[in-house]
Amino acid sequence: MASIALNLKTFVGLRPASPENNPITTLAKPSSTTTAARKQLRINAAKTSPKVTGRNLRVAVVGGGPAGGSAAETLAKGGIETFLIERKLDNCKPCGGAIPLCMVGEFDLPLDIIDRRVTKMKMISPSNVAVDIGQTLKPHEYIGMVRREVLDAYLRDRAATAGATVINGLFLKMEMPSSKTAPYCLHYTDYKAKTRVSGEKKTLEVDAVIGADGANSRIAKSINAGDYEYAIAFQERVKIPDEKMKYYEDLAEMYVGDDVSPDFYGWVFPKCDHVAIGTGTVTHKPDIKKFQLATRLRARDKIAGGKIIRVEAHPIPEHPRPRRLLDRAALVGDAAGYVTKCSGEGIYFAAKSGRMCAEAIVEGSENGKRMVEEGDLRKYLEKWDKTYWPTYKVLDVLQKLFYRSNPAREAFVEMCADEYVQKMTFDSYLYKKVAPGNPIEDLKLAVNTIGSLVRANALRREMDKLSV
Amino acid sequence: MSIALFSSPPATHLPSPSSPHSTAKTQLALRHFISWRPKKQPPFWVFAENGAGSTSTAAIVEEDKAAAAEEKVSEDKKEESLGSNGSVAVDAAAAPAPVTAFQDPRWIGGTWDLTQFQKDGKTDWDAVIDAEARRRKWLQDNPESSNNDNPIVFDTSIIPWWAWIKRYHLPEAELLNGRAAMIGFFMAYVVDSLTGVGLVDQMGNFFCKTLLFVAVVGVLVIRKNEDIETVKKLLEESTFYDKQWQATWQDETSSSSMKD
Repeated sequence: MASIALNLKTFVGLRPASPENNPITTLAKPSSTTTAARKQLRINAAKTSPKVTGRNLRVAVVGGGPAGGSAAETLAKGGIETFLIERKLDNCKPCGGAIPLCMVGEFDLPLDIIDRRVTKMKMISPSNVAVDIGQTLKPHEYIGMVRREVLDAYLRDRAATAGATVINGLFLKMEMPSSKTAPYCLHYTDYKAKTRVSGEKKTLEVDAVIGADGANSRIAKSINAGDYEYAIAFQERVKIPDEKMKYYEDLAEMYVGDDVSPDFYGWVFPKCDHVAIGTGTVTHKPDIKKFQLATRLRARDKIAGGKIIRVEAHPIPEHPRPRRLLDRAALVGDAAGYVTKCSGEGIYFAAKSGRMCAEAIVEGSENGKRMVEEGDLRKYLEKWDKTYWPTYKVLDVLQKLFYRSNPAREAFVEMCADEYVQKMTFDSYLYKKVAPGNPIEDLKLAVNTIGSLVRANALRREMDKLSV
Repeated sequence: MSIALFSSPPATHLPSPSSPHSTAKTQLALRHFISWRPKKQPPFWVFAENGAGSTSTAAIVEEDKAAAAEEKVSEDKKEESLGSNGSVAVDAAAAPAPVTAFQDPRWIGGTWDLTQFQKDGKTDWDAVIDAEARRRKWLQDNPESSNNDNPIVFDTSIIPWWAWIKRYHLPEAELLNGRAAMIGFFMAYVVDSLTGVGLVDQMGNFFCKTLLFVAVVGVLVIRKNEDIETVKKLLEESTFYDKQWQATWQDETSSSSMKD
């Protein structure tokens, strides 16, 4: 009983200690006086959690993509009995496939996983002004293009080597625990069991659950996480002749314009031996095919003679779900909605959030010796929000500013020609840190941005006069 | 069928009003590659807005192409449903002509040739601005493929800052200053008649200075009636993303009360 009371206190203690970036949260309980006591309570919480006797903590990771794979590996390495449930082990995910440089180092990825190293990008404005960016990259810097099936399989295998049990099955539903120490009961269809063609229904009892099952997460539904707005990304894989492929050897293109997408961009990304041409939108989803045609038109000369070998589409979350955590079940990756605006990048954030959540569980349970509780998992949310909030906010501001209209996009492409912009962009993208930069250069940049925006909008007014 | 269609030579950038059909046919082949769905392809880039001769011809060509493409598309769909997922080989020798690329004698090598904009020995920047606006308008209605052989390198910053100010800022500044002056004169008169305080004494009063500030900001920010709504929406928009991120923390208060 005493432990439960103490646990309640830590809950209360956590709220005022939440990071400064939520001024809107109404703090019902004051308590800024007992910081020392609160800190002590927080540490004590884990120590007074009931000890898990006779076995290690059991955690299920539902979903075997980058988020699930890295979470399972971290959990297994931390001494926790881990179950990784994935429904399709050879799933070829429709995805841009771009990973930043820091991911290779942070996740110890072998270099042969990376099909291509993109070191140049071309931004093409609505009026086809083309700007090359990438001159500021150092020789060892690049954006890695990977095949998702290769990356996902590698991370999963590494988790299995670390001790996780990989289950080839489809998660069906989850029963919430009846008390703080009762287990979660997961129902899934096991495909490996050869008894029936459609797989065998099984159940699994675990103490905590990490939902890494992607944009249409069922775990999210089970914990009533709420919905998010999402973009539709539509992509065609096109095999183009070798001479044309040489142009895309290490170059990716981004097309902006109202014809290509009203709120996103169209892209041509090189893959292992073909290119992926696609576009996306949030607000005009029914018109996605029209946008795809326009993207192909803009890239027509460069992909002429190409053959479409695959067509795919997938949803991209636009913002985190209203609830990312309930009791001892947490969401990571696309299931939580950790995709950035403006660039739509998700692989790195999925893997990193999986790892962070797993680390929080390992720490809160003292390597699997104790039961975890919601407070321990909240620590992962705290750390995540504090570390990556600036990145997300900056990209949101950029999207709102520069993807708004054609003049804004023209200004955007003009700004990209500036070397300082390129350096800042790549530094933040490759290393996932909002680089501080030089204040004088920042001022010049601000002035130039305003100038570009003003000029582009002035030209737009002229254009409107022409149509009248 | 596709091979026979490429008998017409790869077109240059000149519009070809004399042979709309051959252009249409080459476009059909392109359509064969691109569109494989039965849905009607609306000619969304067909506008007949300005009376320029080349534009209207292009419009006609586009309409022909789009109408003919619709019949072609239904044939294609049957063909491709037999084959695999829309993979159609297009003759690699094909260089389908762009419908009509943007054409202007002063547009050379992907940028405006400033020597052709001379007026009285100086560059006529207003004409450059007009020309660029026309080009962008054309491209908005007829999106073109971005070609590496003819890269577009025009940068609007070559037009000097004073040309922009003279053309866009000054008229608006005149308008806003006029409004501010009218409001100022009227308010000064009203306050004077109501309180007897003259203009110079009004300026010494803090309340009056605040009113002046509000009036200036109001004139700057609110140009049309719609601007009031726009400003309100902007404020909400700037904090919306933050609210979405903090939603999970708000939830903590309700979940903790539900727990025990």
